[in-house]
Amino acid sequence: MDELLADFVAETREMLEQSGSELVAWEADPSDKARIDTIFRFVHTVKGNCGFFDFPRLEKLSHAAEDALAECRAGRREPDSALVTAVLAIIDRISEMTDSIEAGEDLGEGGDEDLIAALEPGAEVEVQSDLEVTAEEVAQVEKAETDNPSAKAPRQGVQRSIRLPVDLLDEVMKGVSDMVLARNDLARRLREAGEQPTIDGPFERLSAILADVRTSITRMRMQRLEHLFSSLPRLVRDLSTELGKQVMVDFEGGEVELDREMIEMVRDPLTHIIRNAIDHGIESPATRLKNDKREIGMLKFAARQSGNQISLVITDDGGGINLDKLTAKALANGLYSKSELDKMSDKQKQDLIFEPGLSTAEAVSSVSGRGVGMDVVRSNIERVGGSIEVTSKLGEGTSFHLQLPLTLSIIAALTVGSGDQRYAIPRSYVEEIVFGNSSHVDFAQAGDRRLMTFRDQRVPCLALSEILGGEAGADCKWEDKTLILVRLASDDVFALAVDRVFDHEDVVVKPIAPAIMDTRLYAGTTLLDDGRPMMLIDLPSIAQMRGMSGNVRAKAADVEKKDNADRTKAVPVMLFAGLDGRHRAVRLELVRRIDTISRDAIDIEGERAQAVIDGEIMTLAGHDVGPLPEERVRLLRLSDGEQELVYAVKEVLDAADITDDVVPSEADKAIEGVTLIGGNPIPLLDGHAVFSRYRASKKLEHTLTCRIPEGSEWARTILEPLVQAAGYRIAREDDEVEADLAIALAEEGETPASGARETIRLRPEPEDAGDDTIYRYDRDGLLAALKRIRTGRAA
Amino acid sequence: MNELLLMCTIAGRRAAIPAIEVQSVIEVENITPIPGTPDFILGLTALRSQALTVIDCSLALGLDTACESADRRAAVVEIEGHLYALLVDEAHDVGEANSDPVAVPGGFGEGWQRASKGMVETDGGPTLLVDIDQLVSGPLREAA
Repeated sequence: MDELLADFVAETREMLEQSGSELVAWEADPSDKARIDTIFRFVHTVKGNCGFFDFPRLEKLSHAAEDALAECRAGRREPDSALVTAVLAIIDRISEMTDSIEAGEDLGEGGDEDLIAALEPGAEVEVQSDLEVTAEEVAQVEKAETDNPSAKAPRQGVQRSIRLPVDLLDEVMKGVSDMVLARNDLARRLREAGEQPTIDGPFERLSAILADVRTSITRMRMQRLEHLFSSLPRLVRDLSTELGKQVMVDFEGGEVELDREMIEMVRDPLTHIIRNAIDHGIESPATRLKNDKREIGMLKFAARQSGNQISLVITDDGGGINLDKLTAKALANGLYSKSELDKMSDKQKQDLIFEPGLSTAEAVSSVSGRGVGMDVVRSNIERVGGSIEVTSKLGEGTSFHLQLPLTLSIIAALTVGSGDQRYAIPRSYVEEIVFGNSSHVDFAQAGDRRLMTFRDQRVPCLALSEILGGEAGADCKWEDKTLILVRLASDDVFALAVDRVFDHEDVVVKPIAPAIMDTRLYAGTTLLDDGRPMMLIDLPSIAQMRGMSGNVRAKAADVEKKDNADRTKAVPVMLFAGLDGRHRAVRLELVRRIDTISRDAIDIEGERAQAVIDGEIMTLAGHDVGPLPEERVRLLRLSDGEQELVYAVKEVLDAADITDDVVPSEADKAIEGVTLIGGNPIPLLDGHAVFSRYRASKKLEHTLTCRIPEGSEWARTILEPLVQAAGYRIAREDDEVEADLAIALAEEGETPASGARETIRLRPEPEDAGDDTIYRYDRDGLLAALKRIRTGRAA
Repeated sequence: MNELLLMCTIAGRRAAIPAIEVQSVIEVENITPIPGTPDFILGLTALRSQALTVIDCSLALGLDTACESADRRAAVVEIEGHLYALLVDEAHDVGEANSDPVAVPGGFGEGWQRASKGMVETDGGPTLLVDIDQLVSGPLREAA
């Protein structure tokens, strides 16, 4: 139901309740002036409110009653019991209609003339209010039931609502938070006391109930986005009149619910975006007509909820962002040099609007361009844990995409240790966590700036302990630290060194005192389970203070790939638990990154399984070993250099190096073999098997054929997928055509059944026999040979 | 007149905080330090599910010595929606003010002058009435 309508119903009902006793008193003494006044006010308000809605019946009724009572108040008419009865009948009818409105029923038409007629002085028809209403009610119900037996149902389903002061809600919320802390404290004590079945059971129940209550309370604080939207048409109207433009607004997704505080937080940024859109975006009617557009500009707001995020898109169909103008301005303001600007992609150029001190407006108008720019909008949205992006097409319009967390107060955080203290870092910024002593990380120094080389990228490093004023940067033992790769909304990356990473946690963030806010290091505070406070680090602000953000020059520089010759034999792998809970490993080279998506973004139908990541459909693997988690799914994004697919896992465990041999397994062809990691046997996922099995649709245009030994189990289970993954088609026995390649096993002395242009011979022993054969598990050698032949053929 | 005051000792001097502002007096046990903050902010302490900012009243006045206190008593006050624990040397009883706060020619000394509303007469003798709004913003705030 419409929010305004709900308010109307609630208000009317409230007044009905209040006037109930007045009505009774008035009935006893029809000439009581004070009572008449009260009832007059009631019908007057109803009449006024009806004006907003299309309820002609309600308006007519209240208007008639108001007229009659006004006569009495002016002394032109003496109230008598007939009038009292007539007015009461009308009020009863209003109350009845209010119920119908709330239940969303049609009010129907007519049928009120007798009630209105009864108001006339000296009316002969005496209406018995109670009887009349009951009779009519019964008649209506009977009619409804014969027409449609279920018509009565909605009224029973009416949602009762009450109004509560917000303070009270906050009080309750606080109380529940206290209870959660008390529960945690109790839980710790119970754990320390050991297992006590008689207590543990009820305690578990209490915990479950408390969790439910907490969820409900959080929902109580939610407000529909409509609340925010309802104030916008007026703003748009005022602005567009002032600027001589015509703008229409369109809303979608007003039913999306957002934390009350969050709504207040986005109000200003949203207002700013609207101002910009109307001032700079949407053209004047004349220009629009010239450009074959409708005279009236369109401003569209669309909100969606996805998981615990709200996405809000604001689109105008105006002129779009003029990149040439924008870059010229950036150049004129000395923000960037010409060569830097030339190097930028269009996307990067568009993002310039978030730079401080840039605006495409030529003149400062009263509406926008008053020194508060999109940079402030962005920092405000980031402050509440959201993000903002812009897409624009010249001549067609601009869209702002806002991502907002569902609640202001609860954020997903990573708890880290620095010194003796724990701190929380908003997880949305964390891209990756690496250990300083890992073999993939190199440190370098440029001036006083510490740089880290990871995945062929040079990333500037900051030490949390130094930022917080503990140890000096020079004393920092980088190799002992854990590095958190932080990606800001501006796409700047830096590494934050902390002593330890503890855990992922959802934390309830509370505001901090202004004097602490002044440090610009912290965004809030939260309480740990044991009741101790923990500070939430304000990453964007720190990055800004340290010059890590808003500067294209700080972007991670690609390092030229070093020759890998000096690399140790250790093969880096990533350990993970599959959906069935079993631990497996995958070569780290295959893993491009780790994603977490919601369950809804995965679509499985028969053989086909796909996942949507960042608007791209990717083939999903690994989903068939166990059930998918209910809400969030962790995915490894694997790449073979050309194609990518995602592999669903339950948990990502650790990174490790394989130093032991990989013992091939005949039974499971999805794995390369089993190896020992930390003393435990871990199956190593066969990237080739995965890619060949779940191969994405992209294929080589001309497929080369390969003949492999027919009788060998090994050839069929291990070699075949590998060869297929390398882009070959396996020739069948009955294939008469000459194959491009044949693979033979040296020990069997077999020669290919039919001729092939090339032959690779595989030997069973690792020792080089000097006969031009390749060891059957020399993967690199084999692949190199396959590739050489393939590229040779294609050329 | 006859305002109720929480009598306390700050940096060895008699001081008073309007009792109406004080929610409770607590003994501060664990303080979580916050690196990077001015030294008058000692850190955070938890009172039930609330985090209180602990202020050393002596340092907040711009005095050189920190509060010395055996039982680490603090007055809990709420300013602009934030809760603070004002750590004092000693917290005594609640007493009555026998006069309005008045200024004294020559002032009360730097620091005291800025963060006090004036001198009030109490049963225990003249006492400085602390302006807690000024106190929590610290000694350097006015320069900013």
